[in-house]
Amino acid sequence: MILSGVLLAVIGLGLVGWFAGRGRARLLYTGRGSMHSMPGYHGWHLALWILVPALLAWTAWSMIMPGLVDGAVMADPAAAQLPAGDMHRAAILADARNIAANPDAVAFDPLAEQLARPMRAAQIRFGMIGGLLVMIIALAGGGYGFTRVRAGFPARTHVERAILALLLIASLMAILTTFGIVASLLFEAGLFFKDVSPIAFLTGTHWAPGNARGVDIDGNFGAVPLFWGTIYIGAIIAMIVAIPLGLMSAIYLTQYASGTIRKWVKPILEILAGIPTVVYGYFAALTVAPLIRDTAASLGVANPSTESALAAGLVMGVMISPFVSSMADDALAAVPRAMSDGSLALGATRSETIKKVLLPAALPGIVAGVMLAISRAIGETMIVVMAAGASARLSANPLASMTTVTYQIVQMLTGDQEFNSPKTLSAFALGLVLFIVTLILNIIALRVVKRFREAYE
Amino acid sequence: MSNNSTFSSPAFAKRLARRHAAERRFKLIGLGAIVLSLAFLALLLFIMMHSGLGGLNWNFLSGSDSTDPHVAGIWSAAKGSILTMLVTLLLSFPMGVLAAIYLEEFAPRSRWIELVEVSINNLAAVPSIIFGLLGLAVFINTLNLPRSSPLVGGLTLALMTMPVIVISGRNAIKAVPPSIRDAALAVGASKVQAVFHHVLPLALPGILTGTIIGMARALGETAPLLMIGMRAFIVTPPGGITDPSSVLPMQIFLWSDEIDKAFVQNTSAAIIVLLVFLLVMNGLAIYLRNKFEVRW
Amino acid sequence: MTETKLTARNVDVYYGAKKAIDNVSIDIDNGIVTAFIGPSGCGKSTFLRSLNRMNDTIAGARVTGEILLDGEDIYASSMDPVALRARVGMVFQKPNPFPKSIYENVAYGPRIHGLANSRAEMDAVIESSLTKAGLWDEVKDRLSDAGTALSGGQQQRLCIARAIAVSPEVILMDEPCSALDPIATAKIEELIDELKENYAIVIVTHSMQQAARVSQRTAFFHLGNLVEYGETSEIFTNPREEKTKDYITGRYG
Repeated sequence: MILSGVLLAVIGLGLVGWFAGRGRARLLYTGRGSMHSMPGYHGWHLALWILVPALLAWTAWSMIMPGLVDGAVMADPAAAQLPAGDMHRAAILADARNIAANPDAVAFDPLAEQLARPMRAAQIRFGMIGGLLVMIIALAGGGYGFTRVRAGFPARTHVERAILALLLIASLMAILTTFGIVASLLFEAGLFFKDVSPIAFLTGTHWAPGNARGVDIDGNFGAVPLFWGTIYIGAIIAMIVAIPLGLMSAIYLTQYASGTIRKWVKPILEILAGIPTVVYGYFAALTVAPLIRDTAASLGVANPSTESALAAGLVMGVMISPFVSSMADDALAAVPRAMSDGSLALGATRSETIKKVLLPAALPGIVAGVMLAISRAIGETMIVVMAAGASARLSANPLASMTTVTYQIVQMLTGDQEFNSPKTLSAFALGLVLFIVTLILNIIALRVVKRFREAYE
Repeated sequence: MSNNSTFSSPAFAKRLARRHAAERRFKLIGLGAIVLSLAFLALLLFIMMHSGLGGLNWNFLSGSDSTDPHVAGIWSAAKGSILTMLVTLLLSFPMGVLAAIYLEEFAPRSRWIELVEVSINNLAAVPSIIFGLLGLAVFINTLNLPRSSPLVGGLTLALMTMPVIVISGRNAIKAVPPSIRDAALAVGASKVQAVFHHVLPLALPGILTGTIIGMARALGETAPLLMIGMRAFIVTPPGGITDPSSVLPMQIFLWSDEIDKAFVQNTSAAIIVLLVFLLVMNGLAIYLRNKFEVRW
Repeated sequence: MTETKLTARNVDVYYGAKKAIDNVSIDIDNGIVTAFIGPSGCGKSTFLRSLNRMNDTIAGARVTGEILLDGEDIYASSMDPVALRARVGMVFQKPNPFPKSIYENVAYGPRIHGLANSRAEMDAVIESSLTKAGLWDEVKDRLSDAGTALSGGQQQRLCIARAIAVSPEVILMDEPCSALDPIATAKIEELIDELKENYAIVIVTHSMQQAARVSQRTAFFHLGNLVEYGETSEIFTNPREEKTKDYITGRYG
């Protein structure tokens, strides 16, 4: 399309400018100390003056052009026949866009065919205007930049300043992302809370969004069973598995294992940490859940469900244990050796030293590690989606199928519904709660670790 | 004051024996924990191999998804993964490295910079599904980018991977001793030149290691891509980054839901392919780390 | 009463392939203070640590030869290092109280060895140990305060009390005053002088003046060898070996 061509032209022009700037600077070079900056920097300086303003203009134009095109199309007499409904109208316009791009495409609606013509014309017209603007800016920049190629001109300083600006912008992306997350979550959740009261959401115990219609909407979005399921599976069952497993393996590896064992076992345990959660989920659904169900049946439990909190929690626990292990490892290593030496010199055995001196000393670090692990576990999606179940249930039975916040976020966004329906928006409200809880856990944990480290410096 | 008698009394000896027994038990529990973890891993790998190895043939690797389990292959999902990873890498690597350089070398101590650092540390720990929600709200809903495309998937995963690259990049840069910078400045290099010509090349192995590990994590992610709609039934491999596509872990997820038992072999085989990829990537990262790690 | 408590015969200590102690034989007597002196890296701390088998905790450390405590070889397979360390206590260079209360610090040893059967007995042990370490009056009203809240000198005395609480026969001290100020050092040297009545004390020190003040016998180590061993007064006024003389007169440090 026209704009892509213009982009290539601008980049090409920038390349030309680089060579031109460098070439001119080389001609001006008369010996050591005659110029402030090396010719390469002059080349870059010129190229930047061509590229940066032009690319900014290009980006700006690309963003406003669709609006301009749509405006032109709506002004066309054929547009009067468009239906009033938002979705329907958007579908026909999208269709028209499709035909405008590939003339061979078949239209779903004859109206789309009619609208394709004015759309094409508008696209060409605005594309040319924009392209011309961008090229003018590029050439103007190039002209200005060319006049700057002089012996005393600090091209290197300017180029380095541009580099620093680029670095700063890259860093600000992080804030932008955080801001984006918070803003989008708050915004969409805000829309949700217009329909459903936050109190009902946070304290209600009936979760049946499928039934949510009309006035009674509040009663069907009670998220407490979801919070319970998340805590039960992620913070209770998974931790019952992960903490002993992770802590004891960290203790063995740091206190008892020989160098060779440590060298081989540690990487293997890291593999456990690197397996994608979808694989864990599949393993849970394929092997672990049926195993639990069959064991339960043989123990006399009536009608055990295949999807159970236990299956998901167990597998999640094993998945998280390398994480707990590594944090416990760090915490134990931070305790000064003098402390364990002091205990051993008094005639304590290694296990007594670990239990009575090392673990109490390393406890803040270990607790922080557990908090971070819980934060990971409650944010985990695939394992629960594949092994836990969809029933929002407030039960303490580990063999029952139970759903979690993350599962429901996925559920609410499945299927065709309007983006702004309460069902879809509830996913954002759930996401907001999840984000806040994990954020709090992470902040507390990191603060504990920092203070703990300082205590031993 | 010699207390020989206490230490050679039978009561003391009995107590000593009990303490040593407790020590042995404790050590055994530790060993047991490791054995259990390794056994779980072995069981998982064995079951995947057992159910999937038979399905690994050229047809499987080059075919596309299909409703018939015997015909279905992973190529369309694999190509989608490749395209998505490309987008992720092209976006997160430059941003992450440049941000790491800035924060480590140039940033002044100010409240804004602290805010950036706190943001990055927190972003690294945010659940991946939240990034999916962000992608849905911003990329698909607001910017109207094509749903289920490697472009949107790559953008979303790039936001998730960038903090990881920044953190490992910062550690790699921090590890380069100040003497290197001082030496460069002493011959008249500017700060920017010192960083880019001297510090960065030395930090590069560490940065690459962190990037590979971050990309490996992104390769296995499913949840955020579920949010942006990559769960459709894709029959033809994507032509470009704006075509609807799937990714390998998503294909695994979709197949796992199938009722037809024959899909178990496909799912397990796809898992084997994914694990092999990840093993190669992590192995490469470890190799890089061991080969180029300089002990200052 | 100077019967021999510890006897070392032809002891070598290796760290991996490196030999840190070469063929050392020495008798340590009860009721006196024996000082190990020598320049940095000469192995005096290494040899000290082999007297209570603390070298066992270092990977790759190996001890050959004989070390006898009251006639028993402490490296024999029949000797339990756990029981040995209750009989041969150690105080370290940098005070290392546990992050527990003063009471719990001192009670740690007796508790694990089962030396006190009731709260009253334990209280008595704590009081007696802290008194012998010269710390009782200063802390008797705040036994539940953290051990780490004390000053450097007090912490070291707490560590000495902790070692005494197990009723050892020998107390090994590895440069116990090097991290302390002169006043705290003087207090501890006074304490050592009192303690020698009831224990065999071996002190490693890099300060010759301290060795001269505190000990009755002195052993001079150099590059892993025991160069000279004798009465402290003899070593410092009339050393037999050339190397000893050079070290004493400050030719090298």
